[in-house]
Amino acid sequence: MSSAVGYSTTPPAGSSRFSLASSSTSLYSTSQNPSSSTINNNPNRRESARSSIVPIQQQLFGGTAQPQGNVNILDRSINKTKGSEMALSAWAFIFAEVIAYSQSRSDSIADLEKRLSTLGYEVGQRILSLVLLRNTQASNLKDPKREHRLIPILQFVHTQIYKYVFGKPADGLERSSEAEDEYMLVLNESPLSQFISVPKDMSDLSCESFTAGLVEGVLDGLEVPARVTAHWVGDQYPDHPQRTVILIKLDQKVMDREEALGK
Amino acid sequence: MTIHGLWVISKAGGLVFSRSYSDVLPPQPVNTILTLAGILHGIHAITAKLTPTPIPGVTAGGLESFEAEGWGGKVFLTPTGTKFVVLHSLPQSGLDDLMKRIYEIYSDAVMKNPFHTPEMPINSALFETKLQTLMSGVNA
Repeated sequence: MSSAVGYSTTPPAGSSRFSLASSSTSLYSTSQNPSSSTINNNPNRRESARSSIVPIQQQLFGGTAQPQGNVNILDRSINKTKGSEMALSAWAFIFAEVIAYSQSRSDSIADLEKRLSTLGYEVGQRILSLVLLRNTQASNLKDPKREHRLIPILQFVHTQIYKYVFGKPADGLERSSEAEDEYMLVLNESPLSQFISVPKDMSDLSCESFTAGLVEGVLDGLEVPARVTAHWVGDQYPDHPQRTVILIKLDQKVMDREEALGK
Repeated sequence: MTIHGLWVISKAGGLVFSRSYSDVLPPQPVNTILTLAGILHGIHAITAKLTPTPIPGVTAGGLESFEAEGWGGKVFLTPTGTKFVVLHSLPQSGLDDLMKRIYEIYSDAVMKNPFHTPEMPINSALFETKLQTLMSGVNA
């Protein structure tokens, strides 16, 4: 096969949920799945790629594999997370800058929270796609799973999304005793805002609004529209002065659907 | 060793933080501490110029510690010019480690806090809590 068709973008029909464009030639026989297929017929490609596993980004965007150590973010393997974690300090500095930037452009605490929430929403949408894609690939495309009921969806956020974002699942998922359509995600100590000390004159502000927005983005992506807000409750828990509750107020439409689906 | 107090001096010589952690040294009014911090800043700058045998290519650091009767002070200069001054009892040991811990807490609780303005007085509850924990561990 000539080198010109080395970066085909067509995974086998029927087994892919993420093909972007189709080209005339496919390198994969139908029995192979994209994440594990090897290219044996393209010497240029084999020279440049150290491993025989083709990162999905390369299939999608047609990038050229580079030697490891100086790999473009788009050229990285989508499933390999080891070694690509970001330093917490770097994140803390950028998040501090994000808050300072948002603060300089907002005229009230509510406005600032709204801005943080909007940013988190964008992040949530992207994280959802990535986590779902990884899960699908981890299950070898045989049994792609996507939750559709409310409780499994909330558990998915509680466990998988929180684990992906914070490195550990949330400390609690509770249902409000007052309202049927309110659920709470509890995190005793958020890595996102652990260095932030809110001044007294802004004590209402919860920088976890970013997380709230993130959760809202994920839930929206799973067709569970909700109004998500963050509330600091550390004053009631001396052991966890940074305890924050992410309050999820579900849309009436979700409650109706749950009722229609029944048990 | 007992830690009597901690000052943080900005690179311009202004006192941005001061706390007392024991009642051995007589308490001073804030204005006095401000003046003392300013003087220390000046002395530090002078001593940096007074190195008798300067090593070529190496910038002299300036005043590192001073001692009085029964108590002393240790000065730690960060690469960005912020100075931490610890007032302590004599004899002292483990001050270098303590300085690094204070610097670490400062980097975490002050520099990563979006509500802090550089060179301005430190107003962070988190910074104070963490320092208090550290100091009560040392003073215990």
